[in-house]
Amino acid sequence: MSDILQVRGLTKRFGGLAAVNDVDFDVREGGISGLIGPNGAGKTTIFNLITGVYKVSSGSVSFGGRDITDLEPHRIAGLGVTRTFQNIRLFKNLTVFENVLTACHASASYGLADSLLRLPRFRREERAIMDKADGLLEILGLADRKDAIANGLPYGLQRRLEITRALALDPKLLLLDEPAAGMNPDETEQLMRLIGEIRDRFKLSVLVIEHHMDLVMGLCEHIVVLNFGQKLADGAPEAIRGDERVVEAYLGGGDQ
Amino acid sequence: MSSYIEGILMLSGINLIAVLGLSLLTGFAGLFSFGHAGFMAIGAYSAAVCTKLLGLPFVVAIAAAALVAAGVSWLIGRATLKLKGDYFCIATLGFGEAIRLILDNFQGLGGARGWPGIPPHTTLLNILVLDVIGVVLLANLVRSRHGRNMIAVREEELAAKVAGIDTFRYKMLALVISAAYAGVAGALLGHYMTFIQPKMFSMVKSTELTIIVIFGGLGSISGSVLGAVVLTFLPELLRAVDKWRLVVYGLAVIGIMIGRPRGLMGGFELTPKSIRAHFARRREERAIKAGRAAEDGDEALSGEADGKGGL
Amino acid sequence: MAQFLQQMVNGLSIGSVYALMAVGYSLVYSIMNFSNFAHGGVIMFGAYFGFFAMTLLKLPFVASFALAFVGTAVLAVVIERIAYKPLRERSAPFLYFIISAMGASIFLENIIIATIGPTFRTYPDVFGRTSISLGSVSIGRLDLIMFVISAVCLTGLVLFIDKTKMGRAIQASAYNMKAAALMGVNTDRVVMIVFALGGMLAGIAGVFFGMKYTVYPQIGNITTKSFVAAVFGGLGSLPGAVLGSVLLGVIETLVAGYLSSQFRDLIAFVILIGVLVFRPTGIMGKTTEDKA
Repeated sequence: MSDILQVRGLTKRFGGLAAVNDVDFDVREGGISGLIGPNGAGKTTIFNLITGVYKVSSGSVSFGGRDITDLEPHRIAGLGVTRTFQNIRLFKNLTVFENVLTACHASASYGLADSLLRLPRFRREERAIMDKADGLLEILGLADRKDAIANGLPYGLQRRLEITRALALDPKLLLLDEPAAGMNPDETEQLMRLIGEIRDRFKLSVLVIEHHMDLVMGLCEHIVVLNFGQKLADGAPEAIRGDERVVEAYLGGGDQ
Repeated sequence: MSSYIEGILMLSGINLIAVLGLSLLTGFAGLFSFGHAGFMAIGAYSAAVCTKLLGLPFVVAIAAAALVAAGVSWLIGRATLKLKGDYFCIATLGFGEAIRLILDNFQGLGGARGWPGIPPHTTLLNILVLDVIGVVLLANLVRSRHGRNMIAVREEELAAKVAGIDTFRYKMLALVISAAYAGVAGALLGHYMTFIQPKMFSMVKSTELTIIVIFGGLGSISGSVLGAVVLTFLPELLRAVDKWRLVVYGLAVIGIMIGRPRGLMGGFELTPKSIRAHFARRREERAIKAGRAAEDGDEALSGEADGKGGL
Repeated sequence: MAQFLQQMVNGLSIGSVYALMAVGYSLVYSIMNFSNFAHGGVIMFGAYFGFFAMTLLKLPFVASFALAFVGTAVLAVVIERIAYKPLRERSAPFLYFIISAMGASIFLENIIIATIGPTFRTYPDVFGRTSISLGSVSIGRLDLIMFVISAVCLTGLVLFIDKTKMGRAIQASAYNMKAAALMGVNTDRVVMIVFALGGMLAGIAGVFFGMKYTVYPQIGNITTKSFVAAVFGGLGSLPGAVLGSVLLGVIETLVAGYLSSQFRDLIAFVILIGVLVFRPTGIMGKTTEDKA
């Protein structure tokens, strides 16, 4: 099995501080990997570097064999890497449908003239992307909330909507930033299953940042541990659980 | 129709075109332009050059006005749209003033005293035609992926980027189209007044346009139409208290931002579809009430909760 | 050469007025991360406060001056409470703040026009029209005093921000408002103080502007130049605002003196283009990336 994502020597400095310092890791194609570490370890920064939101200070990111370091975020999304945010960035005042539809735009290619003059190509492709949006909402169980304003949704559904939007771009790699934040054990369990189903159904790879250890240990086939911007450990869940350094730095010297 | 009323209607119609463009830029794409009248000035003077100096037909002049204004806006966009929003605001602020200054000193085009003798090509008919075209094109744009992308950029730019939207490109598109609209409005204004002067396109004019967009409601095309008509007629009606008008406007703008940013129309677009939907909802509500009244008659206190809402 | 030095001095003089305006704006910008476009209106009010304190209330200069900048400090805070705070509380988008600022600016300019009227007013002559000669260069007494007071104010501001507890709270909030609040900083008070300081500087700038030139309701438009100066020096950097302003003043004066006075006001715009094209972060600015 090949690696869908390869991160090499990734470094990001803010002023004098290295938030991410010389980090290497891979994400296997079709796998679910986890990125864990204490708060401030640099996990979200790594996501930002991968998705082009931050420019790297040094190092490289390659996706599917192609160097995507420092490309514009929208181009990286177009290549197949999409993400969610730690503090949910939905289009708050738009409806559920509109949130997903907006991400479906990448599948349409009609031009300005087609829009302005309502040419057949416009009608055809609009119909197609609207169907696509409807389809995704159906699969992710949001179809009955289609016209609800995103801001009014319960928290758990907002997260699900953000994931749905990320899926609308037909990604090959999905980056989830603390998707279980604020969830109780039941919801976390549901989410775990959902992520697994998404991986199977959409045939993609997943990289998850999480603090909920049950989700990480139960879901991820491979875990990368970060501390103070540096990689501490990298391997299968059992190995990580047993790794003393990880236990000391993060798990607090005992089982969660 | 008295020529006085006709005159105000024509001015409303001209304002409307500029307002539509600004509505796209500010209401839909979320970019604030301080000196939008500068694009009107460019349009007015370009068109006048075409008709008065080059003897070209009015249609060509209008097209030229749109293109030149759009071109200049493209330059401004290239320089500022990749930076933080404040830079764009400051640049448009400077641009608005600079255009006026440059034109003030350009004696070849009349300078500060103005340029008289522009052929009176503007008629109520061609204003109306351009208004209709302007509204239809804008409505089509907004209800397409191009328009929705602009709205996404306005709502949450970072999310838009990772959702695959080239935010720079769509901001630029909004800017260029809005400048083109302003240019056309300027051309129409020049050929209506038959006289143009840099002073006509000062900060005051820019502010006036922005106020109309705000009153009408950010992101509402019908609001802009209503706003343009109402706020062009209002100064005429309130001539007596003219100096207080702007004082009230200033406070009203603050109030609108705090209380009702969706403006006059409250975010509601007046379209055939929405009107039908509104009446359908009313019918539905009446039916539900009638149904409930019948139920209450049958089951006095069933204690059953209404099935709406919830999970 | 003598003429060149003279122009430099003149440039520094107007530059110091720009600096006061630009710093007031930059201060608010660096903390609130938004451009207070109503700043010009406050400056204009400062000019009027001082003027009426001297002519109507017949107060001596120092008292009038104090009344002016206290008045504008209060005005700035009032504007903040009415026009911005409600938006801040709702986490309104950046656009709403700018529009609200525009509304405030329109209100301020027109309330003056409606009540007092648009006629130009001239400050009574306080310092006399005499000049002091330093070699071949002459500096107006007014200019000298303005320069000194500006320098004192700006230095005072720097000391306040660097050395006092409140100053450090301001710095913390500038860096991260939420984190500062979690650390126990009363961010609401910080915002108030920042606006008050900005208003104070605006008031001083207004009085000086009025004394050097005239008092009229559209003084606010001059702030465009100070915004450009702030961008030139580096948005968000206070030393940058001062540097940008002084440079702008000098370049403007030199161009007006050697080339043509017609182009004087265009210089600001040319500099702006140059900055945007070649170095958007300005002379002293740093590139910052939005925290995601």
